[in-house]
Amino acid sequence: MAEIPVVAKVLKLNDELAAMNRLALADAGVRCVNLMGAPGCGKTALLEATLSALAGKLMVGVVAGDIATTRDAERLIAHTPHVTQINTGGSCHLEAHQVRQGMDHLPLTDLDLLIIENVGNLICPVSFDLGEGARVAMFSVTEGHDKPAKHPSVVLAADLVILGKIDLKPYVPFDESIFRAYLANMRDNLAVLPLSATSGEGLSAWISWLTDFGAGSSGFRVNLSI
Amino acid sequence: MHEAAITAALLEQVRSFLPERGRLIEVHIEVGEMEHLDPVVMETLFAVSTEDTRMAGAVLTIYPVPLSVCCENCMENWMPEDPALLVCPQCGVARPKIIEGSGVLLRSLEVEESDGG
Repeated sequence: MAEIPVVAKVLKLNDELAAMNRLALADAGVRCVNLMGAPGCGKTALLEATLSALAGKLMVGVVAGDIATTRDAERLIAHTPHVTQINTGGSCHLEAHQVRQGMDHLPLTDLDLLIIENVGNLICPVSFDLGEGARVAMFSVTEGHDKPAKHPSVVLAADLVILGKIDLKPYVPFDESIFRAYLANMRDNLAVLPLSATSGEGLSAWISWLTDFGAGSSGFRVNLSI
Repeated sequence: MHEAAITAALLEQVRSFLPERGRLIEVHIEVGEMEHLDPVVMETLFAVSTEDTRMAGAVLTIYPVPLSVCCENCMENWMPEDPALLVCPQCGVARPKIIEGSGVLLRSLEVEESDGG
């Protein structure tokens, strides 16, 4: 019997492909955001409002991940021609090679910003570096104010938190101060942007953040610690 | 259910380190607490995926790695009991950097060399 010592990250290949994505995006001058959130938290609705608000300001491409169907891409194509749908075929997250396939269908050199809409899930996507420059974790008031406490991994990985559907606050038992306290128990300097894609409330802060990020005034995430 | 993707990546890696004539006996991996991987699902996927291969019957041994963080404010290292409560016990600031407890690491393989017959 022989022991073969290895000591290697199991996702080493994904990490290497993500690094290649990061290089290709940097070469093309494209900033990249990985948007993560639970199914139904409002990611696609936010992107519809975002693309509409950024029209004429930034050239935005989208890689939309879903288990199946092209429904998200069909919604987004009304706002930008640069949309690729990735179907993971049952897998609950996007991986770096799938994002690369999506990137290959987009005119990178024409883009300022690439938004990856990850598969709706708050656990699995966190493990997979995609080559993004920033990770945005999206929650919504309909999910309850304790959601961050139930999903610390995504909170620890995020560069920004979005709280969506704030127009529905009067109708659901959601306490924003408790939501913020749960976040502050893990990261007391993590920015939170409350907004509603439907009413437009709070959207301008998100658009400013994206515009700054897309224009390159925000820091690039060079190396993910997890 | 990212256990399937992680197990597939693990098998690929194990295969690349397995000597041509070797039979796999055991695989040792470290799984970070923050990965939220179910060890029973991992073991089952590993067993099913290795059927009818040189890896059949091999044992997957999983060593859980609890979360360990460093406070970016005062550099105190500690192991939080609850990953959702990361306020530094030393300075009261919640700016943790993960030191251990994330990622999956292939530590080693145990292999039985066959006689080539």
